[in-house]
Amino acid sequence: MLSRSSISRNAPRALAAGRRAMASAANPTFQYDVSEASGVKVANREVGGATGTLALVAKAGSRYQPFPGFSDALEKFAFKTTLKRSALRITREVELLGGEISASHSRENVVLRAKFLAGDLPYFTELLAEVASSTKFADHELSEVVSDLLKLKQQAVYSNPESVAVDAAHGVAFHRGLGAAQTPSQSTPYEKYVSGDALAQFAQDAYAKSNVALVATGPNSADVTKWVGQFFKDLPAGATSGQYKVQPTQASKYFGGEQRIPSKAGNAVVVAFPGSSAFGTAGFKAEASVLAALLGGESTIKWTPGFSLLSQATKGFNQINISTKNLAYSDAGLFTVTLSGQADQIAAASKNVVDVLKKAAAGEVASEDIKKAIALAKFRALESLQTLDTGLEATGSGLVHGSKPYQIGEIAQAVEKVSEQQVKETAQSFLSGKATLISVGDVHQLPYAEDIGLTV
Amino acid sequence: MSAPSIANYIVKRPWLKRWMTPLANWYTDAAGYRKLGLKFDDLIPEESENVQKAIKRLPAKEAYDRVFRIRRAFQCSISHTLLPANEQIKPEEDVEYLSPIIREVEKEAKERADLETLTLRK
Repeated sequence: MLSRSSISRNAPRALAAGRRAMASAANPTFQYDVSEASGVKVANREVGGATGTLALVAKAGSRYQPFPGFSDALEKFAFKTTLKRSALRITREVELLGGEISASHSRENVVLRAKFLAGDLPYFTELLAEVASSTKFADHELSEVVSDLLKLKQQAVYSNPESVAVDAAHGVAFHRGLGAAQTPSQSTPYEKYVSGDALAQFAQDAYAKSNVALVATGPNSADVTKWVGQFFKDLPAGATSGQYKVQPTQASKYFGGEQRIPSKAGNAVVVAFPGSSAFGTAGFKAEASVLAALLGGESTIKWTPGFSLLSQATKGFNQINISTKNLAYSDAGLFTVTLSGQADQIAAASKNVVDVLKKAAAGEVASEDIKKAIALAKFRALESLQTLDTGLEATGSGLVHGSKPYQIGEIAQAVEKVSEQQVKETAQSFLSGKATLISVGDVHQLPYAEDIGLTV
Repeated sequence: MSAPSIANYIVKRPWLKRWMTPLANWYTDAAGYRKLGLKFDDLIPEESENVQKAIKRLPAKEAYDRVFRIRRAFQCSISHTLLPANEQIKPEEDVEYLSPIIREVEKEAKERADLETLTLRK
């Protein structure tokens, strides 16, 4: 049997081993090769394997849409009928080749993804180019297929109180731009703006050469550049004029405030503060991600509340979920603490959120907890880049927004360098500035900012 | 929707087309649907899936006008009258507005059927 002393003797050694510097130069598969082929930015990570992934990241998310619903409709129009072949034929061909195609959009980007067997790279490169350059945007397809898909998406998003609250938090914090609803709510009159012609014009600008980046993992870089160069020649080169253009970037400004949304779907409270922007941009602050890991609320290990301050402070509430995130964008970020579950417990636990933040601001946090938070923040940052889902978009987004591509070694270093003092100062700045508080659900029981000691 | 037609045969031969055109114009006018304010595409039988789908795809204004013409023709038919000459459809107004959409729908249905019965040879 292991004696207690042997564990405690080995633990520091294990920690030290884990802190070994990430040797990025010696590990080339972590890095993306960035190049340009016929005016389109291409990033590729050679992994060498039987399958590959190719993603087209276009700077056309809800932040840049001219009218509500445009990014959603553009996403749903991906892989629909083009001038060369019908949506049905695209589906059947992909089925025969055994690939997977999907589209999604975030606040900043529309992402088209294809996963395929390594040999099918040319086919899928051509497919993505075709979708970007010659989708038909037929009015009947909009009314028969796309608008139904959009309504289902709205239902899915707005039946989840957490996503309603996070969306409202963006709206209150940033007003326009980043604050635009990611998916228009069911009561938004978006139908009067969305039409086939309008979308076609928006797409011309959204999929313009300067507005997209291609990110691949798996295939060999020379092949990717070659096929992208061949098929992406015909993308529209620049901006068109007219009211349906991709909206120019306007620097995000944080406002803050309070909003209460009655809902029968469930209860959620979001407490938000101005956070850190994405890595490689001017507003990047590694301490925000460390503070997010420190406040936490979610455990990374089974059957234990974990070390994070919030999960320790709210041990008694077993009917709620708490999570803390730093949502990073190209020029701003939103630091959110989300509570969801039973209304009375949320009301009680939201006081703990502010108490814990005050504790962090006063520096009453064990330095060991900060060390754990740094390790977790580093793990999360690196993992999100390595995972295909998040890593492809993050890399492409970095390319189209003109910041430097992600370098894993630098991120690890930046997170490691965070000091206790920096974490303390960040918490202080949250408490001294204007906060954002969103309550969704049974607003009769959910707290006001005054009640929990926040200034909005 | 289509009945057997020799139209394509005739159109391909210019001399025959020149010869047939006056005859065709006379025949279409004598058919009398224009005097009831209808266009030829209004006469296409609606009772088929493809035509129903095509009618749904009409732009809002076209769909409204179509219903208006059909109701007006109904009234004329009930009251045994013809429209006054200035309200009748002129030959240059009698254009295909629905047939292109029907052809597109039929093409889609055919493509679907073809893909559904696809056999792979490797």
